[in-house]
Amino acid sequence: MNKATVTEIRKQFEKALEEVRDTAALEALKHGYLGRKGIIAGLFARIREVPPESRKETGELLNSLKTDLSAAIDARSMQFAVPRKQKEITDFSMPGYAMHHGSRHPLTQAVDDMLNIFQHLGFDIAYGPEVEIDWYNFESLNFPPDHPARDMQDTFYTEGGGVLRTHTSPVQTRYMSTHKPPVRIVAPGRVFRNEAISARSYCLFHQIEGLYIDEGITFADLKGTIELFCRLYYGKDVRIKFRGSYFPFTEPSAEIDVSCFLCGGKGCPVCKQSGWLEIMGCGMVDPNVLKAVNYDSERYSGYAFGLGIERMLMMRLGINDIRILFENDVEFLKQF
Amino acid sequence: MIVSIDWLRDYIDIDIPLEELADKLTISGAECTLKYSGVRIPEGVRVGKVLETRPHSDAEKLTVCKVDAGTGEILNIVCGAPNVKEGRRVPVALVGTKLAPDFELKEVRLRGELSQGMICAEDELGLGNDHSGIMLLPDDYEIGRAFADYYPVYPVLDVEVTANRPDLMSHWGVARMISVITGKPFKKIPLVLEEKGKDIHGITRVSIEDPLACPRYSARIVTNVRVQPSPAWLQRRLEAVGLRPVNNVVDAANYVLMETGHPLHTFDLNRLAGPEIRVRFARKGEKFETLDHKERILSENVLLICDAKTPVALAGLMGGLESEVDENTRNILIESAYFTPSVIRKASKEQQLSTDASKRFERGADPNERLEYARDRLAALIAELAGGEIARGLIDFYPEPIPAKRATLELENVRRITGIELSAANCRATLQALGFEILNANDKRLEVRIPTFRPDVEREIDLVEEVAVNHMDKIPSMQRMSISVPASFDAFHPFLTGIRQFFTGYGMHETVNNSLIGESAAAAGIWGYPPLKILNPLSQEMNVLRTDMIQPLLGSLRINALRKRGDIRLYELANVIEKDPSAETGAREHHNLGVLCSSSLWGLNWNEPEKSADYFYLKGILEHFMEDRGFVYKLRENTQNAAFEILCDILVRKELIGRIGQYRDEIFEKLQLQHPVVIMELQVEKLFEWYKPQKQYTPPPAYPSIFRDMSLVMDKKTPANVLINEILQQGGKYLIDCLLYDLYIDDKKLGEDKKALSFRLEFRSDKKTLKDSQIDDVMSKLFKRLENQYGARLR
Repeated sequence: MNKATVTEIRKQFEKALEEVRDTAALEALKHGYLGRKGIIAGLFARIREVPPESRKETGELLNSLKTDLSAAIDARSMQFAVPRKQKEITDFSMPGYAMHHGSRHPLTQAVDDMLNIFQHLGFDIAYGPEVEIDWYNFESLNFPPDHPARDMQDTFYTEGGGVLRTHTSPVQTRYMSTHKPPVRIVAPGRVFRNEAISARSYCLFHQIEGLYIDEGITFADLKGTIELFCRLYYGKDVRIKFRGSYFPFTEPSAEIDVSCFLCGGKGCPVCKQSGWLEIMGCGMVDPNVLKAVNYDSERYSGYAFGLGIERMLMMRLGINDIRILFENDVEFLKQF
Repeated sequence: MIVSIDWLRDYIDIDIPLEELADKLTISGAECTLKYSGVRIPEGVRVGKVLETRPHSDAEKLTVCKVDAGTGEILNIVCGAPNVKEGRRVPVALVGTKLAPDFELKEVRLRGELSQGMICAEDELGLGNDHSGIMLLPDDYEIGRAFADYYPVYPVLDVEVTANRPDLMSHWGVARMISVITGKPFKKIPLVLEEKGKDIHGITRVSIEDPLACPRYSARIVTNVRVQPSPAWLQRRLEAVGLRPVNNVVDAANYVLMETGHPLHTFDLNRLAGPEIRVRFARKGEKFETLDHKERILSENVLLICDAKTPVALAGLMGGLESEVDENTRNILIESAYFTPSVIRKASKEQQLSTDASKRFERGADPNERLEYARDRLAALIAELAGGEIARGLIDFYPEPIPAKRATLELENVRRITGIELSAANCRATLQALGFEILNANDKRLEVRIPTFRPDVEREIDLVEEVAVNHMDKIPSMQRMSISVPASFDAFHPFLTGIRQFFTGYGMHETVNNSLIGESAAAAGIWGYPPLKILNPLSQEMNVLRTDMIQPLLGSLRINALRKRGDIRLYELANVIEKDPSAETGAREHHNLGVLCSSSLWGLNWNEPEKSADYFYLKGILEHFMEDRGFVYKLRENTQNAAFEILCDILVRKELIGRIGQYRDEIFEKLQLQHPVVIMELQVEKLFEWYKPQKQYTPPPAYPSIFRDMSLVMDKKTPANVLINEILQQGGKYLIDCLLYDLYIDDKKLGEDKKALSFRLEFRSDKKTLKDSQIDDVMSKLFKRLENQYGARLR
């Protein structure tokens, strides 16, 4: 056995490999050369015939032969694994392989977009439960028992004395109960209202609550923050209007209107010709709320705001039946 | 609440444009829209006289008329109405009139005849539905005059009153707000009260059983009235604010209500037994018929106004049929009372009866100034309108007068809360205009007496709002923002966002499902949680909270299947609720991920046959998901749920954190799905607790791998994971991966109880290039082991 033998075997192998047309033939070839009783094994067995002084060299020669053959077989097997369809590939106009396309729900996208802005403005995200107790949902927020303000929100009551939260505002007092000021949070979540389901209202919707309490926080801070948010979310040309309102847990309270993003304020069906769209409620946190969580209302002040996602989204997308958001028709979902 | 501008002018001068007024009121917290009560006749419609008529020569039903509409020329008008008559006065729309936003009247030829206008029917002017003929007007209508002059419209403000402002439900309340805005003084109509004849105490008496529920009851009597329709001015004012005129007494009471905001009631004195008034709570089950002809069954929560024998009114809600004032009424008892808000609210809720009176009482009426003024004003008005005599004196049960509260406003606190500096004079003027009495004032603070018609104002912060709300638009917008450094930064939301992106990337659609489902659906929940019930559900299909993510997703599947959507791949992140009586809220919430697919593995392709996405599709995604987040997990078959073909518990750190499975096809037979329904639910909140995002980097391999394939025939019952684990454990230190890449079953070739599995083993060292000889050894040892342990043989 010498170098020439090895070269000859290599040549034979290469020729045989060339003729292989399928995996089975390749396996057979592999078995023939690299199997336990294959040609290479036979060569190794004959290494004793080689003079001792050149055994090392021959050994290395055989090893490299084996490695090369093994690599060549692997490479060839790759070609069989993905059979190429030469004909089709010449037609570039054949469609690409169909892929499944996923989508994000427009509601959670909107929530993410808004949270993203507030996080840039230094707000942390906080959470609260959907099943609440009366104290957090109402009483700590300055809704006395038997007060007409409770009628503003039709409430679902649950067994065991709970309520389904009617707004994300209970996260305010929950958070403050366990955190010392300053607090600066936004709280996204589902809220529930016991209202008959119709094109205009659903039994649940999503809100984002905001809260900032520290020393020296004024309504001017609230205005600056909300204006910046609106410009980042609705575009830099948006105009904003604050008008007085009433919420039990803020004093003074205001509603915020933005100029209609569709008509820019000229009046159109989306804004019912008014040029303005109501987007959120806000105000300075009522001292009674601060008292409920043992904050010193003489030292600390702050603002809170709450915005509803569905209404805003419906206006933006031109949806006139809220139920489509919760039906999850794939033909609706895949548009987003 | 509708207030009329014309009426408001009785109490305040209004000299700014009405649109501006509405805007300013809105900014100040009284959200309102300017509207017009009545019909607005289009400009260009005039009173005309039909001078002569002749039939149209070319159209049977048309008449050609000569009409004088005061334009200086005689108009030729073709009219199709059957009732057009020579000599009659009619409404004529001249050429150029806009009868509708997109319809402007033009001069036309109708079958050859010139028509220079239109004689109008009722419906064409928005005055009614009659289209049987044109309107024929009285002969005293002036030719050429704008027809609109005969149909006056009243500008009104439609005010949305917030729950805290009972005082705003009146013309007085709105007038006071206007006073703050314009600086014009608010003025009341001076009272002229002429008492005559008998003293009231000689006629009737009043007794109150429960002064806590009825702290004040005040009455006057007017005798010898003549009940008849109200004068036109009164009827018009009531109609403008949406009230239907009844008779002069009832209308007068409504008028004073709308004026002052204080609810009043008038009784026919002769129909009161005694005559006397007793105020008491109802007895349980007591019956009473109210003015709306409803017989009501009462509870002890309902306060009653009674005469000597029977109830005559539900206090603060509605009167009874028996004591109603009608055309035969001669003598009137006027009730002006103050009821405790919570009492009226309870009764209103219980009786599901919300009236003009109850809306004000439950928010808080004024026990003092307004109560007194309204009582006397009504007596005077009835005397004026119905010609009666006001009895001498008044009955006034008011054992414990409700005092006006006081509060002090520090100007510094206005700045501290609002960010604007307001002068003492400015605050003082605002508060005075709103009816607050200034007790003490200097340039730093104001001490005020709060009028009792403002029950919403008690504290200093409420005064801050009063002075600030009118300057909403002047509060500066802070241009440099301070941010307090947060104590922590939330990582949960980004974690969830990552999950959303992951599943969206796999071609799934994110959904948002209802949290409320039916009890039977909840019972099928894959966790077996007891469901939390809603005590006042919208329907039986929504009477509990969902106990898993899967049942609502099945609902979405159904909707899509019924609409024949082919590939359905859905996921959702939301809370599932487990009833837990030991929890503060009665519930434990789990933030979970739900996935549901009934879909092809990939879309219809020209290069591959279509396949269904089955359990292993979802398992593959799960494997990627877990690996991506660095979690090691185990699956454990769960045979407890008969609805599933296959169901597995997903365990991380030996804790159950999810389930994955494939439903039995029979369950969905009716939906005619093309693909099996596979689901997965993960408790992502729990995963998040264990999640460690910082992964240490591993250097990429410096030496090549050696691959060895191995096909083994073994018992069908031997689970794949057992074999893989064995291989990984026994494969020596260089084995880094074992991939199961083929399953082959052939009962004839392999035997009925056999299967063949193919594995690709990857060997690698991080120190050197491995030699085949090193691996050969390992492979033969490994194979021997598998042969001995599992009876495997090489294929």
